[in-house]
Amino acid sequence: MSEGLDYKFLIDTFFVALSGVPIALAITIVALMVALPLGFILALSRINRFLVLHRFAQIYVSFVRGTPIIVQIFIVYSSIPLLLDSIVTKYNFEMNVYDVNPIWYAFIVFSFNTTAILIEVFRSALNTVSKGQLEAAQSVGLTNVQAFRRIIIPQTLVVALPNICTVTVNLIKATSLGYALSLQEITLRAKVAANVGYNYVEAYIDIFLVYLILCSLVEYIFKLYEKRLIKYKAVNA
Amino acid sequence: MLEIKNIQKSFGESKILKGVDIKIDKGDVVVILGPSGSGKTTLLRCINFLEKADEGLAVFDGIDINLKTASKRQIHSIRQKTAFVFQNYNLFNNKTALENVTEGLIVGRKMPKEEANELGKKALNKVGLSEKYNAYPSELSGGQQQRVGIARAVVIDPDIILFDEPTSALDPELVGEVLTVMKNIAKEGTTMLVVTHEMSFAKDVANRVIFMDEGIVIEEGSPKDIFVHPKEERTRKFLKRVLPEDFTYYI
Repeated sequence: MSEGLDYKFLIDTFFVALSGVPIALAITIVALMVALPLGFILALSRINRFLVLHRFAQIYVSFVRGTPIIVQIFIVYSSIPLLLDSIVTKYNFEMNVYDVNPIWYAFIVFSFNTTAILIEVFRSALNTVSKGQLEAAQSVGLTNVQAFRRIIIPQTLVVALPNICTVTVNLIKATSLGYALSLQEITLRAKVAANVGYNYVEAYIDIFLVYLILCSLVEYIFKLYEKRLIKYKAVNA
Repeated sequence: MLEIKNIQKSFGESKILKGVDIKIDKGDVVVILGPSGSGKTTLLRCINFLEKADEGLAVFDGIDINLKTASKRQIHSIRQKTAFVFQNYNLFNNKTALENVTEGLIVGRKMPKEEANELGKKALNKVGLSEKYNAYPSELSGGQQQRVGIARAVVIDPDIILFDEPTSALDPELVGEVLTVMKNIAKEGTTMLVVTHEMSFAKDVANRVIFMDEGIVIEEGSPKDIFVHPKEERTRKFLKRVLPEDFTYYI
């Protein structure tokens, strides 16, 4: 029995694992769409020390950074249904809180998590764009919003992009923890397939390959985008 | 044209401006001299609302604007009439020289792009950068960057240009090209308020010199008054320290 890998299983399961990619990507994209603007605003609040928001962002970052994602997943997954349940019974909504698709919990956890990391990414990136450019924009009659959109944000993005790429890749890999939510993503699908004939090694190799391919692709796309953004620096680079 | 009354500003405990009054007429080139820490730069920044003054009034073409309580619209209207040239140039690093110059026209004033480009090129030609329209700031020398900074100020055709030590960050051999450009635009009748340590510029180009120290105006007058017959002891001491041995004032 144990004379090597089951190649047919290896290939079949590769495609099973691959079919989990849309869910992993959906979580990644939703989390980024929430976290990019939110992280940027909170980073600004930290730099400009907006009263309450600045403290909130600081505490938020240390809470999220100081705990493992898996623990955050367990807390959200166990507490939100309880919370929802009490609301549903109080107002007599027609809804079974235990039927909620687990992907919603994944959206919440990964959005929270990514926001905290991006606050720090944007904070360091914003500090590299001199305040003088904002003043110059104001002095030629741009509003703050215009100055940010046209001058500050494009430069911040260039500096932040390598880190955003790392965050994105980490996020894709972290979605494998979705199996704790019984989410039908890459890892869970392959593991379930392996349960039948105990072909765990093959399944793990498949999972490994799928993440590797996915992350390499994302890195490549980021690299292309970076090249486009960075044209104003190319001469001195 | 522009009158500043009783402008005051503190940073924390230290009072930088202790009630400064200045008056500038159209076509004036006014140079502010003074030792570092005397509040020259802060004064300029308060006029353009880059710092908020604690007290003070600006009278612009007969319209009073309180420097402490000005509304966003009033701030915007003053900025539309003034331009600022910074010590560190502060060019937009993600924009070419031409885009730096036209940004205020296209975005700030909603001017059509072609018209703005034409004005922008004219302004860059004026500062001797007709070859550098499409260069990014990182491709330009300090002197060239500051000349783009001046073109960016000139192009919006402001009532007054505020210069904050425009040559202080430059290598000595690049100072000349920037001063030449400033002299040229002064000759065209542009109203200028200049903070500088370039005594030769004050002597040759200014029609009024203001000497400031410790947040107040000590003395003001024509360059001749200040350089040849300073009335105040503090002015004399300062000039003795900063003027080269062979500095003479010709009329």
